[in-house]
Amino acid sequence: MSRRVLVTGATTPLGVRFVQDLLADEQVGHVLALGVEDTPEGLPSSPKLTYAQSDLRRARHIRRLLGGPVAEHGIDTIVHTALHRSANDEGGSIHRLNVESTRLLLRLAAAAPQIKHFVYRSDAAVYRVRVSAPQVLREDHPLEHSPDAPQWVRDRVEADVVACTHMGLVDLRVMVLRCAEVFAPRMGSQLTDWVRARVSLRPVGFDPMVNLLSLGDASAALRAAVHSDAQAVINVPGADTLPLSALAQRHGRSCVTVPGPLMGPLYRLRTRRRSADFRYDLNAHRFHFSMVLDGRRAVDILGYRPSQRLSWPHP
Amino acid sequence: MAVPRTLQAIERRFLPADLRERLRDLSIADPGHGYDSFGLHADWVSAAAGLFTPLYERWFRVTSHGVENVPQQGGAVLAANHSGTIPIDAMMIWNDVLRHTSPPRVTRVVMDHFVNLLPAISILFGRCGAVGGSRGNFHELLERGELVGVFPEGLPAIGKPWSERYQLCEWREGHAEMAIRHGVPIVPIAVIGSEEQLPTLTRIESIKLFGLPYLPIPATPIPLPVHYHLWYGEPIPTHLDYSPTQADDGAVVREAAARVKASVQALIKRGLAEREGVFR
Repeated sequence: MSRRVLVTGATTPLGVRFVQDLLADEQVGHVLALGVEDTPEGLPSSPKLTYAQSDLRRARHIRRLLGGPVAEHGIDTIVHTALHRSANDEGGSIHRLNVESTRLLLRLAAAAPQIKHFVYRSDAAVYRVRVSAPQVLREDHPLEHSPDAPQWVRDRVEADVVACTHMGLVDLRVMVLRCAEVFAPRMGSQLTDWVRARVSLRPVGFDPMVNLLSLGDASAALRAAVHSDAQAVINVPGADTLPLSALAQRHGRSCVTVPGPLMGPLYRLRTRRRSADFRYDLNAHRFHFSMVLDGRRAVDILGYRPSQRLSWPHP
Repeated sequence: MAVPRTLQAIERRFLPADLRERLRDLSIADPGHGYDSFGLHADWVSAAAGLFTPLYERWFRVTSHGVENVPQQGGAVLAANHSGTIPIDAMMIWNDVLRHTSPPRVTRVVMDHFVNLLPAISILFGRCGAVGGSRGNFHELLERGELVGVFPEGLPAIGKPWSERYQLCEWREGHAEMAIRHGVPIVPIAVIGSEEQLPTLTRIESIKLFGLPYLPIPATPIPLPVHYHLWYGEPIPTHLDYSPTQADDGAVVREAAARVKASVQALIKRGLAEREGVFR
């Protein structure tokens, strides 16, 4: 049966790629792309595509959206990918976009009889990474509930939990995709910003493994979720698993080791001087301990296997 | 991170040519960048094998008995006694299995969590296949059909007093549960020599560096050149004697762990009886 899909965050690099892939999919009848911008930059023109401008931080915009274009276009699947990307922004407005919009979208979608599927794009950052944690994380791994975690993490955890708590309780099939870090510019990728600096720093004596997801694979996983009738939390690993030092090297960057306690102050200084996005407090644990997502459930339920490697400037 | 030049030089100097040749056949579940998900890398394995060779061949003069009991393929748990202040026993088992399996197999030694807090050491051990001691890691490795090396006595055993050498401490049961759950055999191993290599003079309980429960003070500045004997017992067929559903039965798991402990104790007894002396 052909799906009619609403995509939030459609003007991000992932949103654009995903909309393009949906338009090329014969089993998708219509795409309603949602962005905060007036004009949908980067989105192709197609009779199958409608662009709607909406600010998800405002509840009345979401209500108008669900009562208006979503109903008019007979949308049956919502793919919610909108998340605030900059790690340095904090506050109520960011929380409304990251968490409250998810809560309201779910509530309204559950009340709309034609909407049957809700796919939430979550993030591997929701997992708690500590020295005692396994290196390959399954979906039942504890989440990062530390009150000391930055809002960037807390919001993602809360939104993920909000989506999970709707599973089985409403007449809506909810799927949560915990994606590995999408390694691309303008995606809020911390490691993309980390390798943007001429010299990438890591704590002396530590070189953990990281797993990175390409836009193509992230889009493929979302597309598989759109066509699935399952209700589950699913990890979405990427095709590239490598140590931090190798990541810097593949980008032609020097990876300099510094004592751990200096990492935070040095990166705060960089953020102040260069308005960089990388925050060491956000990454301190995974700069010491490996974290790779287990992808077995994605294979079993979605038939998704990471296949699209990142392109490296210095392979 | 590439293998440091010093380690490469040590490898060139000490790694026997035949082992270097055989290590070319080392197979790693590499998803594309030369590392497995845990960080194991073939070049580091060769370098570490070179680093351990002088210790293995000349200092501890390791003699291996019954290594054919280690499966050449498929998952298995290797369970050994533990002692010696620093984990030389793990390094010798790792090296011995690497040398005596064809194609060479890397023992995925399960380490206490504090090792992952040690700068540089955590990289070296991780690149050589060691993993942190979490159930998740154990589970994952057995599911991939790896050889998992454990010391069921755990960290408390490394500081055994001299008077308690070769007496097994409290024997944990997690390895038996995992073996039953994954349907793999357990190979008992007795390490003879390690419990005399670095006698503990005293321990300072108030110093807890990197999560160590205490700071052991050895009686000698470097390990003594004791003669190591590694005794591999016949595999305990946990995969045949139990069904995976019994992994949740505490009594069954306790019984299986007790069988492993008794096997290791019997091997220790035999090893001690058959050796000619601590240094010979």
